[in-house]
Amino acid sequence: MTALDFETANEAQWLELEQALRRNDRALDPARFLFLYRTACEHLAMAEARGFPAPLVSRLSTMTARAHQIVYRQTDFGLGRIVRTLMHAFPAMVRAHRWYVLVAALLVIVPALALGLAVAHRPDLILSLVDASTVQQFQHMYSPANPEIGRLRDAGTNWMMFGFYIANNIGIAFQCYVSGILIGLGSLYYLAFNGAFGGAVAGYVTSIGFAGTFFPFIATHSAFELTAVVLCGAAGLRIGRSVLLPGRMTRVASLQLAARDTSVIVFGSSVMLVIAAALEAFWSSAAWVSAPAKYALAAGCWILVAVFFLRRPRAD
Amino acid sequence: MNSPIDTIVTAETPEGISISIRPAGFAVRATAFLLDALIRLAILSLCASLLANGRRLGLGIFLIAAFVINWLYPVLFELSPAAATPGKRVMGLYVLMANGLPVTPAGCLIRNLLRVVDMLPLLYAFGIVSILSRRDSRRLGDLAAGTIVAYRHEVELTGKLGEGVPLPPPVPLSRRQQLALTAFAWRVERLTPARAEEIAAYAVSAIPGLLASGSTAPAEGEVAATASTAGSGVTARLVGIARWLHGDRRLAQ
Repeated sequence: MTALDFETANEAQWLELEQALRRNDRALDPARFLFLYRTACEHLAMAEARGFPAPLVSRLSTMTARAHQIVYRQTDFGLGRIVRTLMHAFPAMVRAHRWYVLVAALLVIVPALALGLAVAHRPDLILSLVDASTVQQFQHMYSPANPEIGRLRDAGTNWMMFGFYIANNIGIAFQCYVSGILIGLGSLYYLAFNGAFGGAVAGYVTSIGFAGTFFPFIATHSAFELTAVVLCGAAGLRIGRSVLLPGRMTRVASLQLAARDTSVIVFGSSVMLVIAAALEAFWSSAAWVSAPAKYALAAGCWILVAVFFLRRPRAD
Repeated sequence: MNSPIDTIVTAETPEGISISIRPAGFAVRATAFLLDALIRLAILSLCASLLANGRRLGLGIFLIAAFVINWLYPVLFELSPAAATPGKRVMGLYVLMANGLPVTPAGCLIRNLLRVVDMLPLLYAFGIVSILSRRDSRRLGDLAAGTIVAYRHEVELTGKLGEGVPLPPPVPLSRRQQLALTAFAWRVERLTPARAEEIAAYAVSAIPGLLASGSTAPAEGEVAATASTAGSGVTARLVGIARWLHGDRRLAQ
């Protein structure tokens, strides 16, 4: 069959498909459209194999590409998948990494308690961690006289701080995760450092008598923020372990598997960090909310987070 | 189809054919980005001038508007039927999934949220490195979302087979030779006669016996002489053979 025969024999069908493509999707007859599309695919394959002229091949490939977009269009918008990932895959993946999470949590809590107690006992120890001007900033930020707790005087509005907290907190969490690739040492370091730093600040603020503003401030958003940082650190430890002890896989394959598993955790943690940033910007910093109200919401948030990760998912 | 000197990405369909996607490179995407930035700036300054009298409430509304415009502007436009922000549309680009399907809302959302990763450490450095180092020019957000930014318009290979009298090939031609002759005949109308003649001479010297009228192949010298003296006759003969190969056999005896 020559190109001309081919063209004259099939021209009618191609024209019909091209006209269908110009029409509204809803006006199409599905069965006929699918038939035309599949036939055009066969014709394209044949035209390519037989070396028919380039304009003919290009015409066929344009029409099949357009029809392909209509035939295989995703109709469920893909948002359902995001919700499923967040509500089911994320907590399941966290449970599957429970030992990593435990290690990461201890890495934060132990240095935090140690430095917290030490600094509360001897406040000048804080100067070995940060310099004097930073200490002054902390004094100002958590002073009961500050109308916006946790902020410097020239800090911006709630919305601006929301953006700042997102960038800052997600930055810390990503640091804990990504640095895990250095056989886990980076995650170890950042988790322990952030734990120690937080503990030292808490200890110092307590020692100068600002505990009444500091703890209500951090109680609520830390349910999400601290948990998310620990989870990202745990994911980083998994990455580190996959490089250090790949088991029966090659190191690269092991790393790829770990990255695929932990990406769910990092995605879920990012959402938690956005929630934390919103709470920190609009709720925690508000001086007009009484401490008992903040503690009550904080308790609710911690219970919510615990239930979210510990509940058994429906067997579906 | 996927030759190493161009950057065409092919996506295979379940029907076993492959769809070609032409990814948009750094320069054109940067231009589209700047256009979008200007449009966003214009909208924001319009908002600012409208809300200037609103005092604190006005400032609050303005900050929310700024948030919405910065984060949702690309999402809304990329989910519209054009699948492109105004900047991309001006540059003839659109966003689609890397498997050739229309962009999904989830994909669109992820690629625009992960913009923050591409912006690191400053001035979109990660995104630019990713775009420049990948053949398919995807930034990190595109990779996570499985999307790709591509040129919307196909290269239109319009062309007409050259006019002439169909002529059966004097010698059997291999598939590659047939392809070369056909391609020449489809281009000939867009070439100057002199250039067509020049190319025809190459074809004649590469395919022995192409100009012979019977089945006997002429000697090398004779071919060269014919090619140099016959003028446009060579082009016409090649076009005639191509027409025959294409299937036009009306006048052949």
